[in-house]
Amino acid sequence: MPHGIEISGEDCRGCVNCIKSCPTEAIRVINGKVRILEERCIGCGECLRICSHRAISLQETDWDSISGIRPMAVVMDPALFSQFPWPPNPAIMEEILRDMGFEPIVKECALAFDLAAMAQARIMEAGESREMPMISTYCPAVLRLVRMKFQELIPNLAPVESPLETSVDLWKARNNKSRVQTALVASCPARVAMVEDPVGREASSVDHVISTARLTREILSKNRSLGEGIVKRPRDTRWMNWSASGGEIAHIRHFTEKPLKALAVSGMRNIIGVLQDIELRRLKGVDFIEARACSMGCIGGIANAESCYLSQVKIDNYGNSEPPSAEETAPLEELYDAGIWKLQYDITPIESVPLGKNMARAMEKLNEIQSVYAELPHLDCGTCGRPTCRIMAEDIVRGEASLDDCIFRLREKIGRLSGEIHDLSRRLVHTMTPEEKK
Amino acid sequence: MNPMRPGKTILVQREVKPLDFLSAGETASEFKETLKSLGISADLCRKTSIVAYEAEMNAVIHGGGGEIILKLDEKSITIVAKDQGPGIENVNLAMQEGYSTAPDFVREMGFGAGMGLPNIKKYSDELNIETEPGKGTTLRALIFLDGSGGE
Repeated sequence: MPHGIEISGEDCRGCVNCIKSCPTEAIRVINGKVRILEERCIGCGECLRICSHRAISLQETDWDSISGIRPMAVVMDPALFSQFPWPPNPAIMEEILRDMGFEPIVKECALAFDLAAMAQARIMEAGESREMPMISTYCPAVLRLVRMKFQELIPNLAPVESPLETSVDLWKARNNKSRVQTALVASCPARVAMVEDPVGREASSVDHVISTARLTREILSKNRSLGEGIVKRPRDTRWMNWSASGGEIAHIRHFTEKPLKALAVSGMRNIIGVLQDIELRRLKGVDFIEARACSMGCIGGIANAESCYLSQVKIDNYGNSEPPSAEETAPLEELYDAGIWKLQYDITPIESVPLGKNMARAMEKLNEIQSVYAELPHLDCGTCGRPTCRIMAEDIVRGEASLDDCIFRLREKIGRLSGEIHDLSRRLVHTMTPEEKK
Repeated sequence: MNPMRPGKTILVQREVKPLDFLSAGETASEFKETLKSLGISADLCRKTSIVAYEAEMNAVIHGGGGEIILKLDEKSITIVAKDQGPGIENVNLAMQEGYSTAPDFVREMGFGAGMGLPNIKKYSDELNIETEPGKGTTLRALIFLDGSGGE
């Protein structure tokens, strides 16, 4: 299975529009159906955006199958808060979910996000030997992209666990509810993949994933009214802001005296650009990169219901990330020392398989690929179901495609053949017209 | 294409167009991907990327274009950048960090900080520059596969 993505073969029309949208060239269309190569997919969700036949979708737990399970804890991606026609206040969602019979994890989430910000601030203050800039690991698609395509930058990744995971651990431990099932409300396929294929920990603390769009529809269709007197808690402004670009940086700044040189980058194309600049060591003097695969941050996630622009306006109107008070900071120290924010294991690279067993063999393959590539039109038109002629050449050498799958090659071949047929038709059988034969 | 033989096999050869600032990044990542597909370690791929990027930028800014080549043999990766530009008048001076002869408009774009050659030297294990004023420059940088050069 690709990362957090489901394909409906029935709905796929084989239009090949998706193959170019993929930043890691993970998509093929073969025999009229889309196929996503798991080992290349980072779960960014770009293909979901472009598929107009809805053949590619988020892989989520069926709502009906979990709506009856109680108790059920719910941990919310902060992008959920700005999906509604009311202020993006986590306290409102807390009340609504409780009304629905769920156990919302909100207080622990606020703590876990505080902890993640505090930990990153401290790592950067302490770490002179660290590879800089430090790259946020909050976006699972970015994390996977680095592990796959920018392996030299793994030491730059923040060794900090997703606060969404940490919050569930914390909630279970504090309330003695280790056996309670948990659902994560996710705004993108990469968050689903974070649960299915966790990085830096044995298993996810979460059991089910529901999309923000699905839960939003559920809530709005029931015409739930707003409770009276819901207050705005300063601590909630901090983690809620992580859903928009720049929110994580603002949060980290609350925990450091040092002027932090930080860059918020969002959108796949920008992410690849900034990672390349870091790789080429061109981003000197930058301490921190907040990288989000979705343009505008998690509010731009494909599984959201609300327009990302409206979400941004709601977040801006609601208010900036407010600094933590002394009472809020005190309990954090203990949790910080307990190290619950840390990734338990090192982040490992996702190695791509070389072309051959050894270098000589791989070189032979590369030569084959290059000579097949020379035969192709270099238009990267995608009609063969591969994103580029280069990938097509690789697939041909691997025996997974034929030169005739290239429409330009096929046209040439037909041209040649029809020329031959034409020539043949001119030649009459010599026994019938011997005197005309030259 | 030659099969793998002792000696240098050309893996990638790219034309460098004058003042094409975008292509340098593309070539660097193409070099990296090619080496990766041959099973070469991420660390060496990164060094190659940096050297290729800086060498191509030099050809883009000063050399009026040229070509850049990636070669490989059993012992080392070689990056060759050739241009028909004005040549480097004083190689020792050009090797100093911060020394730059890039025109103002190039510096305004954020390039030409005088780090090109120093960076190439830093990330390669052997560096050879042939240059003749008025004729052009050929830069040859080697990166050893056994990592014996260090950073």
